[in-house]
Amino acid sequence: MALRIEKTFQVSQPIEKVWSLLSDPAKVASCVPGAQITEKIDEKTYKGSISVKVGPSLTDYKGEVQILRLDPQNHEIEIQGKGQDVRGRGSASMTMTGRLATLTDGATQVTSISEVNVVGILAQMGSRVITEVSNIMFDKFSQNFQARLQQPVAQPAAANDATAGASTPTSSASSPQPIEGGSIAWQAFKQVFSRWLQALTRLFSGRSA
Amino acid sequence: MQQTTPEVGGMGHSIKRKEDLRFIQGKGNYVDDVHLPDMVYGHMVRSPYAHARLKSINTEKAKALPGVLAVITGEDLAKANLAWMPTLYFDKQMVLATGKVLFQSQEVAFVVAEDRYTAADAAELVEVEYEELPVLVDPHKATDPSSPILREDREEKSNHIFHWEVGDKAATDKAFQDAAVRADVHAVFQRCHPAPLETCGCVADFNRATGRITIYLTSQAPHAHRTLFALVGGIPENNIRVVSPDIGGGFGNKVPIYPGYVCAVVASLTLGRPVKWIETRSENLQSTGFARDYHMTAELAADRDGKIQALRVKTLADHGAFNAAAQPTKFPAGLFSICTGAYDYPNAFCEVDGVYTNKAPGGIAYRCSFRVTEAAYLIERVVDVLAQELKIDPVELRQKNFIRPDKFPYQSPLGWSFDSGNYQAAMDLALQKAGYGELRKEQEEKRKKGELMGIGVSSFVEIVGAGPAHTFDIAGIKMFDSAEIRVHPTGKAICRMGTKSQGQGHETTYAQIVAQELGIPAADVTVEEGDTDTAPYGLGTYASRSTPVSGAATAVAARKIRDKAKKIAAHLLECSEEDLEWEPGKFFVKGAPSKAKTIQDIAFAAYTNMPEGMEAGLEAVDYYDPPNLTFPFGTYICVVDIDKGTGEVKVRKFVAVDDCGNVINPMIVDGQIHGGLTEGLAIAFMQQIDYDESGNVQGGSFMDYLVPTAVETPHWETDKTCTPSPHHPLGAKGVGESPNVGSPAAFVNAVVDALSHLGVRHIDMPITPWKVWSVLKEKGVVS
Repeated sequence: MALRIEKTFQVSQPIEKVWSLLSDPAKVASCVPGAQITEKIDEKTYKGSISVKVGPSLTDYKGEVQILRLDPQNHEIEIQGKGQDVRGRGSASMTMTGRLATLTDGATQVTSISEVNVVGILAQMGSRVITEVSNIMFDKFSQNFQARLQQPVAQPAAANDATAGASTPTSSASSPQPIEGGSIAWQAFKQVFSRWLQALTRLFSGRSA
Repeated sequence: MQQTTPEVGGMGHSIKRKEDLRFIQGKGNYVDDVHLPDMVYGHMVRSPYAHARLKSINTEKAKALPGVLAVITGEDLAKANLAWMPTLYFDKQMVLATGKVLFQSQEVAFVVAEDRYTAADAAELVEVEYEELPVLVDPHKATDPSSPILREDREEKSNHIFHWEVGDKAATDKAFQDAAVRADVHAVFQRCHPAPLETCGCVADFNRATGRITIYLTSQAPHAHRTLFALVGGIPENNIRVVSPDIGGGFGNKVPIYPGYVCAVVASLTLGRPVKWIETRSENLQSTGFARDYHMTAELAADRDGKIQALRVKTLADHGAFNAAAQPTKFPAGLFSICTGAYDYPNAFCEVDGVYTNKAPGGIAYRCSFRVTEAAYLIERVVDVLAQELKIDPVELRQKNFIRPDKFPYQSPLGWSFDSGNYQAAMDLALQKAGYGELRKEQEEKRKKGELMGIGVSSFVEIVGAGPAHTFDIAGIKMFDSAEIRVHPTGKAICRMGTKSQGQGHETTYAQIVAQELGIPAADVTVEEGDTDTAPYGLGTYASRSTPVSGAATAVAARKIRDKAKKIAAHLLECSEEDLEWEPGKFFVKGAPSKAKTIQDIAFAAYTNMPEGMEAGLEAVDYYDPPNLTFPFGTYICVVDIDKGTGEVKVRKFVAVDDCGNVINPMIVDGQIHGGLTEGLAIAFMQQIDYDESGNVQGGSFMDYLVPTAVETPHWETDKTCTPSPHHPLGAKGVGESPNVGSPAAFVNAVVDALSHLGVRHIDMPITPWKVWSVLKEKGVVS
């Protein structure tokens, strides 16, 4: 199932500071709920994992993240991620383009365009569930991203970006940012169900009369 | 036919369904209600991919979980030569995958544990490594050179399964060349699923001491399944007992043998304990027999005045990963050639190509006699398109082309002999009940005001009751069916049949046939089906065949009993047989009605005072080979209103006039029609098992695959005409499927009719509000 997800948010930080965060996959990963970078293979390739729990279905994707394009002049980054669930429940791949722009007030606008392809149990939930899950994950990500920008540079708080510059796995930094799968799933389902119920009510209103 | 009293309850009485006494009290006994000592539970591990190579399966962690007894993989089955099993249609399918998987949710491993929860947990621990392969979803691309070849096991390296054609191609092509008017439609009858309330499942109970295995099975055809288990599993058939207890809806879904059954049997043979396996709802929707998925083109050639001259049909059939269609051996596209419909014209040609795709296998007859639904939908759709082309009323066009009553038995251009029919009579009654003329006037008024209202007509013909042994068999077994009646000394009786009710009310209707033929009150007749140790051999219940075949067998067996009863009566009344006359329930001496012996007197005498030289007892069995199929028909009229803002279609009125010949129980017939119409409504407006481009199922739960409830269901107005079958002993035809066969076209025709003035010729099912709204937008009705 292929989805295109486009998101924009603003941060009150200068563009170069935002870029230093966005251009580092390990740091970006630390902001993604449930995600972590486990190994740096080379300057552009990393190994990582992400857990997504939707309802009763927990999917643990393990795979690679690759920087396809890094354009500091235009503040654009293109990343490709591919992973398979460790228990054989399916696979997912994503190509994300991140772009920064300075706004008139000196703040920075972050735009991301993601093409996501999901195969397997998760994909059966249908695009409305996956889109909701993505929305919630992205909201969480943008919160984390902004919080991260507020942090002093040296603070090693986000343990799961320890791979930046190192090729050793960060398993010592276990349970980096738990996915809070339960709440994500619950929120997603709440949103989907309420829409679904509304649709159903509209669809069949008057029919029972 | 002689009338029986309401107390006797023979043909034509709306007696209450005997089985409902236990169903409405929650006392039914379904497969999942079977609990045996030491019973353990199975759970299936399934593929998340539609097409992938199996690189490895690691079962260690699953086996280590406390309570897990076994994890069976395809490799394990391969050692016993059971990794593959034959399908019902000249193909084979994987029981558990070896090498690669071919559809999402395909069976990969079977976990057995002490309880159901442990089995499900352990299934999560089975580690399967896959390598994804390119996926083939679109059947139109199946034979593209760029598409992957799915079935590496087959000698023929192609995704093409079969080509089948019937009719006179040359004459049909000529008729098209000469035709004044042509009309065509490309219609997809989407993949749908019967979704019975009870999912599939079984309990396999192998007794090591006796060497016998009892299989409690959600089976519409227990005897055929017993034979297949014997042939495939190599178990002596006398050591297999298949029991189909109460079945919570089948609709064709419970005709095939599924991998879960085989795995449960293998596990029970291995462990020596009863093994229960019950599907979840999603497993049922995603992996078991789907229906339809016919991509059809129909063309009609006609004279300027609307007289049809020829029909040409070309169809692509998507069979999924394995050809598991459940249909008679000689008919790769089932009885699709009934597609000429209720109309009389000389030329027709029909061709069907079947292909493989990365989807679940199936092609079962969902409340349908083997592709009859697809056929009826297609002809009723294209006739409407022709009416639009000719700018004449669709009712008038139908009437102009109906096969006239004096033409029966009618030889159709595609080779069927229609037994009887009076299509005009059913149409007239439907028109009158619906107030057709008024409706057309109302529609005209509404159109002036910009409101959207449509009237859809469907005059369908069915072909059911398979079937005559010279043409019909399933996997080699002829499609006869059977009945055995035993009358007890006190005049009560038990009957057993080769069929199996899944909600059709057999326990009532067969008893009524016995009541009709012998005069024993239906209340005194016990009907028992589904236990292969006790019931006579038969091919089961599907394709509306129970009344046409086993119902006939019941009547014939009862008449054999009556023949013997007459001899006993003559003995008791000390007269000759020729002096006796029958009325339901007794023989009496001609001209002296008081000199009579009731069937109860006779039954008692059959065990206590039989004539010298006569065998004791009063029983008979009949294996009935029908001389022809039966051809029920009817006219349905549907009225819809469309909300322009939302695209929502509201069914305002639905009139269903059915003709199924002589009726056994009018209330049950009504109930069958209500159910079938509701399923037809769901297919027309709500249901589809869809796949995305990666082969992910997009209709794999009740979130996406919508089932109508009372809220969505409109009021159904039913009525009937009666044109008995000339060859059936009771003049009956079968009815369970008519409403599902005839209604989709009525719904779609109504929606298209509402939009016809905008130039709309066709909309594919399911007609969702979004689809209608998109059409309205495209036509500029809404912005």
